[in-house]
Amino acid sequence: MPTSTVHAAVAFVLAVGLLGEYYDRRALAVILGIVLFPEVDTAFGLVMDGAHRTVLHTMLTSVVAAGVVYWDTSREGSWIRGRWGASGVRLAWVGVFVHTFAHLGLDWAHLSGINIVWPLVDQFFSLDGELYLSSTEGLVQTFVDIAVDPETGQQTIDAGRGGTTANTHVSSPVQPSKETSEGPVDRRFPIAVGGWQLYFLVVGAFTLLARRLQSTPEEIGDH
Amino acid sequence: MPPTLVSVAVGVLLGVGLLGAAFDRRSLAIVALAAGLPDVDATFEWLGVGAANASLHSAFVVLGAAGLLYYDTERREGSWLRVRGGWYGVRVAWVAVAAYAVAGIGLDLFSSDAVALFYPLSDRYYAIVGKLVVSTQEGLVQTYIEIGNGWLGVASPGTVESHTVDSWLTPAGEERRLRLVESGWQAIIVLTAAAAIPAKALVEQGDR
Repeated sequence: MPTSTVHAAVAFVLAVGLLGEYYDRRALAVILGIVLFPEVDTAFGLVMDGAHRTVLHTMLTSVVAAGVVYWDTSREGSWIRGRWGASGVRLAWVGVFVHTFAHLGLDWAHLSGINIVWPLVDQFFSLDGELYLSSTEGLVQTFVDIAVDPETGQQTIDAGRGGTTANTHVSSPVQPSKETSEGPVDRRFPIAVGGWQLYFLVVGAFTLLARRLQSTPEEIGDH
Repeated sequence: MPPTLVSVAVGVLLGVGLLGAAFDRRSLAIVALAAGLPDVDATFEWLGVGAANASLHSAFVVLGAAGLLYYDTERREGSWLRVRGGWYGVRVAWVAVAAYAVAGIGLDLFSSDAVALFYPLSDRYYAIVGKLVVSTQEGLVQTYIEIGNGWLGVASPGTVESHTVDSWLTPAGEERRLRLVESGWQAIIVLTAAAAIPAKALVEQGDR
């Protein structure tokens, strides 16, 4: 994973805006819980091969969660609305959004990526590449490789395909490597790796602080 | 510099987060523009009157803008901005300054392309790159800032004379490249920003 702190920081930036009038400390705590929850599958890794980045990192979790929230909030006698009112509904939708973008999205672009549609297909995918406009080659993108085999003429499309649960292990502090090694295990809890991760911690902190300093006008939208 | 597109995306995220009731198409466009504005200094370099990641990436630009804004809206009777734009104008202006500083300059500062933060007082480029890790074997490992004997230092690739920032206008070789997205995480940030705009628009409709 990009570190949990980075997931949380990006989630906070999104939550500040999308929670809107329902933004408060409690809602932020719930968002934090939601955005960190998928890491629970690191623990499954102890009993199931390749569980981390698979069980709770599949995009199907977003699809199912969005489906459930939509189904519940659009029916009569909605459970979420009945229990927590409109703020609960907003929180549920923002939760789905941050889970998808701030957690799964960022993990997709990190190390071996995520097992994107597990359990339908057991296949890790990682998003990596670049996009640029070149004066000699035109618009170039390297996220998805489309290659034609010169011998068979068959077209192959590679969108960052990785291994399967059987041969992919994404390191985590719970299980630094798949094999148990002898001697002291070095468990590393990264807080930020690389300039950009520290940058997002700063952006997250800045957004929360700025939101605190903002005064809400009494006549909203008076312009 | 990391691509301007990514700066704009982070600017959009800040706009979605901080504009609040002032969020609309116009205010978001202003904030996004402010986030991309510092990268215009690549043009200055091309014209020979400044340097990329220096002239407009200077902290003094931000301090000047913020100071002026503070003076006009808080210290002065009959603020020019308040009279013209009301609460909306003041909010948009502050968020635009924040986007300029955080998304426009900040993103470049935390990359190996580096920013001459104190230009023109000092023409040295600074880059905050490294890692911060808690290891059970080695304890807290931190490489962003060098802590010397009574001084703190960050990495620097050189000064305006020795370090050049590649851009469309000042290519390193024959080929000119306009970089849009350099890596997976940048692609995700751009996608997230693109998704956050309609989401925020829906939210604002609901809140009114």
